[in-house]
Amino acid sequence: MAKKVLVVDDSVFMRDIIKDIFAAGGFTVVGEAGNGVEAVEKYKELKPDLVTMDLVMPYRNGIDATREILRGDNKALVVMCSALGQETMVMEAIEAGAVDFIVKPPRAEDVLAVVKKVLGEA
Amino acid sequence: MAGPSWDTSRYLTLFGGEATEHLEALGKDVVALERGATVALVDSMFRHAHSVKGMASSMAFEGTAKLAHLLEDLLGTLRADVARADAAVADVILQTVDALGLHVKAAVASEPLPDHGALVTKLSELNAALAGKPPPVAPSAPTPTPVSQPEPARPVAAPGPSADASAPPRFSLKLKINPASNQPGVRGFLAYKRLSTLGNVFDLKPPLDDVKAGRVPQGTITLELESDQTEEAITRTMRTVADVELESISLLVKAAPPPPPSSESDPNRVVGQEPARTIRVRTEVMDQFLDQAGELLLATSRVRELTRSVPQAQRPALDEAVNRLHLLVKGLHDKVMEARMTPIAVITDRLPRAARDIARRRNREVELIITGEDIELDRAIVDELADPVLHLLRNAIDHGLETPEERKAGNKPPRGKVTIAVRRQRDRVVFELSDDGRGVDVERVKALVVERGLLTADHLQTLTERETLMLLCLPGFSTARDITDISGRGVGLDAVRRAVDQVGGTLEIETTPGRGTTFRLSLPLTVAVVNLLLVGVGDEVYGLPIGKVGGVVETARERLSMSQNAPVLQFGQSVLPVHELSALLEVPPDVQPPALVPFVVVDGDDGRLALAVDRLLGQREVVLKGLSKPLDLVAGLAGVTILGNGQPVFILDVARLVTA
Repeated sequence: MAKKVLVVDDSVFMRDIIKDIFAAGGFTVVGEAGNGVEAVEKYKELKPDLVTMDLVMPYRNGIDATREILRGDNKALVVMCSALGQETMVMEAIEAGAVDFIVKPPRAEDVLAVVKKVLGEA
Repeated sequence: MAGPSWDTSRYLTLFGGEATEHLEALGKDVVALERGATVALVDSMFRHAHSVKGMASSMAFEGTAKLAHLLEDLLGTLRADVARADAAVADVILQTVDALGLHVKAAVASEPLPDHGALVTKLSELNAALAGKPPPVAPSAPTPTPVSQPEPARPVAAPGPSADASAPPRFSLKLKINPASNQPGVRGFLAYKRLSTLGNVFDLKPPLDDVKAGRVPQGTITLELESDQTEEAITRTMRTVADVELESISLLVKAAPPPPPSSESDPNRVVGQEPARTIRVRTEVMDQFLDQAGELLLATSRVRELTRSVPQAQRPALDEAVNRLHLLVKGLHDKVMEARMTPIAVITDRLPRAARDIARRRNREVELIITGEDIELDRAIVDELADPVLHLLRNAIDHGLETPEERKAGNKPPRGKVTIAVRRQRDRVVFELSDDGRGVDVERVKALVVERGLLTADHLQTLTERETLMLLCLPGFSTARDITDISGRGVGLDAVRRAVDQVGGTLEIETTPGRGTTFRLSLPLTVAVVNLLLVGVGDEVYGLPIGKVGGVVETARERLSMSQNAPVLQFGQSVLPVHELSALLEVPPDVQPPALVPFVVVDGDDGRLALAVDRLLGQREVVLKGLSKPLDLVAGLAGVTILGNGQPVFILDVARLVTA
């Protein structure tokens, strides 16, 4: 069965790119969220196999949202989406429990490689 | 950066719509900003700029992404101090928002993107000015991130390879980060974190901070992992980390169980604690390391200087590379410096024995108290101080302390006290040696100075108490009534002072009659990096160590007073002799001397003096290089350095310059 993914990013444009990558890679995007608060709610509701999480978002940033999601489910697999130059924040997110990261702009082969690794499918 | 791997035209409309929304919102925020800046507002602006940047770079609109990135940088800086968001800053932000709007329009219409080179420069400069640092830090550079947050010490510092039979097995691992990885530092950190969930990590090489900063030579990380997991399970876990390959894993042979703890075992040994691993390195090798690292630093400055002549278009990438190079070289230099640090105990450890011997021979009783001996200094300084410190101790016991009988008569305990206190004071180390003896008889010092023809009585009148005490350090001076076999040969304190000078330190003497004397050495932590005041004389540039500079007075030559047919400068309460630096160095001065001449007030051997120069060229932190033969024989030169523009600059030994 196709793995379920929740895509979190405050940019519709960026979500669309990521969703298309997942669709092409044989994943099911079960939901999307535009900020950290929404992300936590959607996670509880949808129980996805994996989350891609933007770092910089309004209301609640990606690091806080990751922490909150892991508090509810310590097995949650959260992959951060970051830009170059955000290494410190990414490491903070990893410290908070994120399992991996992808670098924007996302390239299909990189995203799928990371996600498959994380899911133990590679 | 490689373009996106999909057909971007499908997203173009979406990009246009959303980017425009962000820019409009950003514009509104700027207006609100002019009414009053808050962190929340700047945060919101930052997010909008960040979103535009992300979208633009996904669409491979590099110019747009760069502009948005610079705006993001500026907002990041502002966030730290929102009060600095004044009307001028708001103007630049609005200009950038407008420019980005034009970019987006052009992009949607598939027209070439407008060029905003001037705005890019303006943004970089403004950001640099607000951040209070030299421009420009390359945008979007994968800079080695200085991670300052303290790492939980648990895994690396956890109890080491306890040879306890019940300890979990230990594996040796070798990891390789994919060289194509964008962010090797984060990759390495991720691997480290993943392994930490399986057990305790030891002996991580390179150290965690280096890994995080991306300083991983050949992408290779080695470590030991103490874990209950099987080799297979560890391998499986590592397979879930993208871009990091587990090159090898092997089970380490368990060490023999330790002998049962006995009552005789070293009480300092903490059970299970790994001893500090050290290797011996010959000191010359350390010197060579430092020299080479210093050369690298100089060479990097030179490259940076050269990039200034490169066309603007190629600057960002070049700056990025140079900045990274500089950080790496600086890191290397710091590490080498750190490796040279030696505790001052190396010289104080032998003092108690020396104090006992001296006291016994001179019929004194002495108690020596030493504190702060674990403070570290550059090895070169520690080496240089060994003899001077011993000399000060001899002086204190031999001349400072009275005999037990004299002390009893003066209502003092028969046993004298000598205290050595070492402490860090900002970026310097203060070394104080005090005795509770008779103190220096200042009047007697003055009388002897005149008697020996070292100074005239007139000259003595102009000296402050501090300067008078420094007369003790004149060559050929001794107040000892009789020459002893321990000290008082008159070569003592001037040698101490010379040694302290040589390492860039200062010496102060304080005394209270009947209560004792304190010698205070203020020392730099390292000798290799010095702060200079650069001055110009004619076509030449020289460096004066900042530590020796007491101030600068700019005035016309005609306004100097005269004393005994020589010009003198009024400086605060004192009157200082004036020397022309051009005459001391025998170089031609400017043909047209400036109307207002800068007079640099410096500390000489006989108190302060003023040096007339042609120009002041600012302060600079430089790597000091020693002089090779035959230049080391030239009196008045302390060393040499090379400025970023490749120009060698001699560093002046002020004291010897005047007496030479």
